[in-house]
Amino acid sequence: MRKDETLVSHLDWPLFISFMLMLIMGLATVYSVAYNPENPSLFSFDEKYGKQVMWLAISLFLGLLVFLIDSDIYRKFAFPIYLVTLSLLVVVLFMPAINGAHAWIGVGSLGIQPAEFAKISSALLLAKYISELSVKQQNTKNVLGAAMILLVPMALILLQPDAGTFVVFTSFLFVMYREGLTFDPIILGVVNAFPGIRFKETWVGSHFIPIMFVAIFLSVITLLLSNVTITIPFLSDTKIPGSMGVLLTLAILGISALLFIRRFGTKRDRSRATIVIIIGLVLGGGLSFGVGTGFSSLAPHQKDRIELFLGLKEDPNGKDYNRNRAMAAVGSGGLVGKGYNKASVSSVESNHVPESETDFIFCPFAEEWGFIGTLVLIILYMFMLVRIIIIAERQRAAFNRIYAYCVGMILFYHFAINIGMNIGFAPVIGIPLPFFSYGGSSMMSFSMMMFILLKLDSQRKDVLR
Amino acid sequence: MNFDARRYVIVAFIGLVGIIYTLRLFYMQVVDDTWTLRAQEIAEKRKEIIPPRGVIFDRNMRKIVSNRTYYNLMVCEAKIKNLDTVAFAKLIGWTVEEVRQRFKDIVKGEGTYYNKHSGKRTSNYQKIRKYPFIKELTLEEISKIAPHLDNFPGFFEEVTSMRNYPFSNGANILGYLSEVTREEIEQDRFYKPGNNIGRSGIERFYEKELRGIKGIRYVVTSALNNAIESYADGKYDTLSRQADPMKMGMDMIIQAYGEKLMKNKKGCIVAIEPSSGEILSMVSAPSFDPNLLVGKRNIGLNYPKLALDPNMPLFPRPLQAEYPPGSIFKLVQSLIGMQEGVIDENSGFPCDKGLVGCHGHASARNIPEAVQYSCNPYFYAVVRRIIHQNKKSNMFADAELGLNKWHRYMESFGLGKELGVDVSGQRPGLIPDSKYYDKWYGHHQWAFSTIRSISIGQGEVKLTPIQMANIAAIIANKGWYYTPHFVKSIGNKGPLTEYKKKRYTMVNSKHFDPVIEGMRRVVNENGGTARMARLDDLIICGKTGTVQNPHGEDHSVFIAFAPMDKPKIAIAVFVENAGFGGTWAAPIASLMIEKYLKRKIKDKAKEQRIFDARLSNYKTVSE
Repeated sequence: MRKDETLVSHLDWPLFISFMLMLIMGLATVYSVAYNPENPSLFSFDEKYGKQVMWLAISLFLGLLVFLIDSDIYRKFAFPIYLVTLSLLVVVLFMPAINGAHAWIGVGSLGIQPAEFAKISSALLLAKYISELSVKQQNTKNVLGAAMILLVPMALILLQPDAGTFVVFTSFLFVMYREGLTFDPIILGVVNAFPGIRFKETWVGSHFIPIMFVAIFLSVITLLLSNVTITIPFLSDTKIPGSMGVLLTLAILGISALLFIRRFGTKRDRSRATIVIIIGLVLGGGLSFGVGTGFSSLAPHQKDRIELFLGLKEDPNGKDYNRNRAMAAVGSGGLVGKGYNKASVSSVESNHVPESETDFIFCPFAEEWGFIGTLVLIILYMFMLVRIIIIAERQRAAFNRIYAYCVGMILFYHFAINIGMNIGFAPVIGIPLPFFSYGGSSMMSFSMMMFILLKLDSQRKDVLR
Repeated sequence: MNFDARRYVIVAFIGLVGIIYTLRLFYMQVVDDTWTLRAQEIAEKRKEIIPPRGVIFDRNMRKIVSNRTYYNLMVCEAKIKNLDTVAFAKLIGWTVEEVRQRFKDIVKGEGTYYNKHSGKRTSNYQKIRKYPFIKELTLEEISKIAPHLDNFPGFFEEVTSMRNYPFSNGANILGYLSEVTREEIEQDRFYKPGNNIGRSGIERFYEKELRGIKGIRYVVTSALNNAIESYADGKYDTLSRQADPMKMGMDMIIQAYGEKLMKNKKGCIVAIEPSSGEILSMVSAPSFDPNLLVGKRNIGLNYPKLALDPNMPLFPRPLQAEYPPGSIFKLVQSLIGMQEGVIDENSGFPCDKGLVGCHGHASARNIPEAVQYSCNPYFYAVVRRIIHQNKKSNMFADAELGLNKWHRYMESFGLGKELGVDVSGQRPGLIPDSKYYDKWYGHHQWAFSTIRSISIGQGEVKLTPIQMANIAAIIANKGWYYTPHFVKSIGNKGPLTEYKKKRYTMVNSKHFDPVIEGMRRVVNENGGTARMARLDDLIICGKTGTVQNPHGEDHSVFIAFAPMDKPKIAIAVFVENAGFGGTWAAPIASLMIEKYLKRKIKDKAKEQRIFDARLSNYKTVSE
């Protein structure tokens, strides 16, 4: 049994243990929330917890298989695996709709969701593709190739429609960012098409992650201010619309920065900084203006949704029902919670929080364990995510590193969005909380992801390239 | 180019989300209680358990107001499945249209609220809530329906408690219950829509003492409004508690007897125990069976009939009818005259019929005779002396001074103001003062001659029957009274404090003896006006009155107390349009006194005469 010994000694135990801990916590929460006093046994397969136990067993069995099989196959067979899931994504579109989405293959509670598995196969193929690129990555073809790997399954998923998983696919942008893929060639192609402009680099194309978040921040501020009127006290109480306020603030900031640099900067700094600030001002202003006008031209129901999310409007018993109930459940947990199996708002039986055993499983957990529990959960997740990045960075093979980043970022997205929608920080899009939410497909896909990562990591020293 | 540093951007990003989320959760879960309150609003429901109202006993511990179990047929629309309206209508004995209409009425009855955000009106009605479909079914009625309710999911029975009156008497005193109004709910958060509240009489005055303490159960409810479990294992639940039984000073046997005597007559009887101020009986005729106004269905059926009855059975005459007192007022005039020193026990005045009409009798030589003969000119003279004491040279100023002094005396007898009996809605009567006459005649434009009819209890003077009975009680006590009241004891705490306070009149007790002697003669001596009230073995002291009535036959009045030395009962009887006071009011009072003190009536003929009397003004209501 030499092989097992290698596995045991090479396995990353911190990650494995945190992974197992979460599986146990998740199962305990499903048991609590779906508890039916008529079938108290954890193994009663009429109940959701019985089924979850089954999915868990299947996942662990799959994990065992992953551990036994040589890790090289994932790289070798990444493309066929990708094609199989793609075809499943096509097949699923012809399946009968459940809750308005063609997401399930199979019958009843035993169906699977191909979209969950598409995440793994896309991660594998992306890892293979990027790792096999030459050092000279900065060409349009390569970037488009990587984008295509993601865009095809994303398009198919959007057809189901499954907005949640679609959004999760954007987590691969982080991976591309880490690997230094840049959209500069494409942007340059567009920008330099204008006469008189000759840029060597745009900075935007390669630092898209930080820029994206500046953009999101600006948009949110603009939207928050879209309905208010700002009174300027010095200019005889002139009233201006809120969106103009953002532009004005940006302009004031930019001009003061310019003056500051003119006064203190060197000559070379000055010319560079001036260009950067002017471009930033134009882009920021344009974005803010675009978002503002775009928002006001939205259809009323879309506007409603955004306004509800930003807290500009209240409709706790109508359109905002889910989020309102979820937040009430979480918030009522207090410091130490109501106690295990004592959730009053979010138990399946009371049914105030819809989907409290799947997408909203954080509710019963937070309600029963309080802030102590949620703190432990967040720390556990933080630990796991950072551990995955540490593991990623110690890989010798680029494939392994990229795949590890993919896993880390997918988990991070699920964590951030799922918990975010329970605390009013993210819109309500149905995605599960990994290892916690009830459901066979997500349980199997997340477990597989982890087992493959653990397996790759345990064999990292075998790879000598 | 090396991108390894970018790992820190990503880690920082993850860390940032982790920190923000932790802070947010700390704020939501520990700092801010908005969401906890919201959760309570959503999932924890207070279920209120209304205890049966307090039971009421009479002075001999006979139960006079109790509770009976009734059943409400409830409906919850969300739970209705394939309702066979025809079969259901048949089961409850309605038509299909009535059933449909009832559904509409329930929705309508819940009203609407205005949503500020959407600017729309929305119904308060919720399909998942339960509403009473038929209220207040008796055990008999529900037992025909309940066994079949399994066929009609969404309908179920609920127990409720309502008033029951073993004696069908005292309706105007006890009052009745009806559903709270929106204003009452807003004023007192104890009430929820559909709760009952005391609407009149004792039930209203002692609402807080009778309603008891609501029990509260906190339950965790589902989104469908079903109770799932008790909240925190019932740690915060409180038990409901029925109010302590209430003991009234009423003697229900006397009350019932009084109502029987007053049958087919209009008027009232008020009997008070002078030593305590407890009201022994208060008959308002005609009356009605209090059971007619139990529950929404009965009220809906019977209230309009009672309200439209020309005999006005709902009108509590003893408290609200204001009558001129007539000759019984002369008692008080003599007392004031003696206290003021303008006359004494042995003052005599001629019966000068030129001044005012009188009946044939010798001139009164002293107070007892004046009372005995009820001499009108005598009291003109007395009151003239009270009003005009020649303290001021101007006659009009003198009258003003005298009248206001007289008014203060009257107030000390509890007249011209609300007595403060423990039921709501009592009238003050009217004792005029100088301001009153100034308004009519102008300042310094009137003197005794203008207002002289007040001397004999006519003219502007008005008293309620309870005030009349209280005069009898004051005379029996020789100068003081307890405010008349119904409730002897709440639980075992005794009456309210205001009924424990002895109230003295401005007249010294020594002046009462000649008046009492006069009242003795009225009943017991030849030439007395109330010989029909005489009893062989019991000395009743009384005074008749015949109140001139411009609208018809005179009213018959009699006030009395008995026995003479240790008075146990003071009584006032007022019979509308019955003529001479001695003919009707006096024998009724006498029968009441005899029934109360002896429990048996000796002179059956006297009793029968009253039973048979059917006074002309009493309008027969066709059923």
